Amino acid sequence: MSKLYVDTDKYGYLSEFASVEAYNCAIKDVVRKRFEESDVGWEEFVFGVGEQLISKDDMQAIEDKLLALGYRFEPSAMSSPLERPDAYKDSGLSNEDFCFEHKEATIGEIETNGRELRGSGDNVVNHVANLNGIARYVRTSDKVLEYLKDGVPEETIAIVDDSGGTLTAPILEQFKGVLCAGGTTRSHLAILTREYNIPCLMNVNLNGIKTGELIEVEVTAPSKTADDYSSGTDVTARIWRLHN
Amino acid sequence: MIKNEISYAQLLETNNLIQQNSDETYWLCATRTVQESKIFPVSAYILFSYLNCFYRYPELLKKIEANMSAEEVGDRARNTGVKILAWTIPCFYLLGREMLINWGVVKPTDAVEDVVYVMDFWKRFQLSWHRNNGGLTNRQNGHRAQIFPEQKLQVFHADAFECVPGDELHNSAQEFMATIAQYGFLVSCESRLTIHNHGPYKVSENREMLVRDFRELAEYDFPWLDGVAKDLLYNNLTVAMIVEDTHITLLDDWGSFEAEPELKSEHIRAVGLWTADNLTDGHQPIGMDSPEQLTQTFIELTAQIKVATTKLWEQMAGWSRDQQMDAGALNYFAVPKELAHIAGCYESSDWMMIDDRAERFRPLLNDEYGNLFLGELVGLITQPSQQAHAYTMAQHTDKATKGLSFIPYSVLQDEPYTSGVGPITGGVTNLEPKQDRYRTSEGVLSESELNERCKEFTMTACTEEFRLLCSDWVKYHFRDDKADHLFAIEQKHSRLLKGKGASLSRDDIEALRNK
Repeated sequence: MSKLYVDTDKYGYLSEFASVEAYNCAIKDVVRKRFEESDVGWEEFVFGVGEQLISKDDMQAIEDKLLALGYRFEPSAMSSPLERPDAYKDSGLSNEDFCFEHKEATIGEIETNGRELRGSGDNVVNHVANLNGIARYVRTSDKVLEYLKDGVPEETIAIVDDSGGTLTAPILEQFKGVLCAGGTTRSHLAILTREYNIPCLMNVNLNGIKTGELIEVEVTAPSKTADDYSSGTDVTARIWRLHN
Repeated sequence: MIKNEISYAQLLETNNLIQQNSDETYWLCATRTVQESKIFPVSAYILFSYLNCFYRYPELLKKIEANMSAEEVGDRARNTGVKILAWTIPCFYLLGREMLINWGVVKPTDAVEDVVYVMDFWKRFQLSWHRNNGGLTNRQNGHRAQIFPEQKLQVFHADAFECVPGDELHNSAQEFMATIAQYGFLVSCESRLTIHNHGPYKVSENREMLVRDFRELAEYDFPWLDGVAKDLLYNNLTVAMIVEDTHITLLDDWGSFEAEPELKSEHIRAVGLWTADNLTDGHQPIGMDSPEQLTQTFIELTAQIKVATTKLWEQMAGWSRDQQMDAGALNYFAVPKELAHIAGCYESSDWMMIDDRAERFRPLLNDEYGNLFLGELVGLITQPSQQAHAYTMAQHTDKATKGLSFIPYSVLQDEPYTSGVGPITGGVTNLEPKQDRYRTSEGVLSESELNERCKEFTMTACTEEFRLLCSDWVKYHFRDDKADHLFAIEQKHSRLLKGKGASLSRDDIEALRNK
């Protein structure tokens, strides 16, 4: 088998993640094989015959081999597992009874005032009063379509997975507040809620809050700044379930 | 391909530019934020775009320069605005190269002349774009971008209308900026490429001005805006936002900013609205006759953009994954296409296609591999090609890493190398074909009409008479008629400064505003 230039590397060896290493090794195997078959020098191969010999089918074969072993990919976009349930793990996004059960969430007993601590997050903007509202998960485009057609129910504090600004784009301004399980106070969703003046916590760890429950969000907490992130300073805003 | 002679000095400079981008890429990715979306496979399409950049940028940038030099394109871009280019051209291209090196598909000694050329093009464009503050990047200027000349800043400063929190103008401006930012993230497939800020510019003791560009909003290059954005009459909008009692401490090469204390809506104390494209003679005011007119303009634009947002979202939510991949990748890859428009040589087949050579790798780019491989390349810096000798202490991390591979100097001696990827041969797209409709300040044009008009038109500030009249010239010649003529170019549409000439100071402008 031919030896590639990068096969001799004094300082670099493996990728950090095993699946990346597996993929990259498989691609290098294809290149070695096709280069050997080409019977030309590297300079003729790399931007010449190699571009025909290293094909899309070769790349597809790498994936096929991995899937044949029973491996299933972790999805991030909704379309990926929907189109290829045979290649991706179930995203679980369509489960109507879903609720976050983050192990890292700070939780507590029911206080005398009826508040029960169920989590915390990074406050985007410091507001003058805490936010009360009804928790509702918004995890799919079907849910967004439903709210687009029927209107977002009043008092909705949306709980979302990702820090992007696209999923909830047509209905974002109708939310009373937003709790996002990802990102930072500089993520796109945080930028947008700041622009719309909608209270929002990012990087939320939450345990047991279900759709329809009344919650209180401590948006009077200090906003988490770039310096706080870079220095590792713990600045959190709390989230309570309300028992009334 | 015939090899050109590469000199030692060229390689030294190229590797310096590579290293600058390597350090800044890490800083941006580590301190800003990652992109996530349930609609788009973001990491996967980003990687796809990098490959497209590697295979297409060399030819497409050369095509631009066959019509207009990078530095002249930079002059024009400085006058009308562009998307975020500082980081995108070199880093997208070099990260594509880095991917392919780690796959064994190319060597660090491949496409040497391409790499030298792409970095040189970028350097010359950037120096021209940044001419007024003398830097190469925002990073080099202490994360600041003072792009505009005094004559344009005076007009923006003078004509922006005062507003206070709670009044109609403040409310309408705030809602407009939220709505257009929302639309922008959607247009650019979850990236921030539609939004570009520059500044800050000092306006008074406790006030600073930020210039916010929102670009490519209407029917233009992106097939996904055909129909959806038909009713949007302005392709580009520029908001000048004057803020009080807060200091913009950082404006990075992604065009995003931070302020101390944190910038909130109550800090906004004046706003103005303009538009500009490659066929306007500078910035044209929109609704700037009175605060009431500007308020009404913001309200109307907000309503139009909301309608477009809903239509676009409905379209995108119904896309296949391949369509999402193509749109995201093309949106990233095609950032420099505006330079082709400026040069009058834009072709949709150049910029709105996935190159056949990149397309080969599509099956690799599932969500999981996309997230992990991108994370290694730009965040963890853990790919084999990125590891350096153990004495190395990388900027920001002190780790023995180098985010982007240099070109080995041995290619100047006896190590074989290849010159470049060669011509573009073909491409594919899963998106609907682009309709031949391009919204401009001169109405809706076809691609060929737009190219023709861009070629024929030279904005007055970029004519031979004025192009080289910089602030250092104005400093010593402000009493000359020629200086008045230079300032008159920007002042001709100004409510307060028309015919005022070149001798006004910033304080004079502030006094005029307060009359």
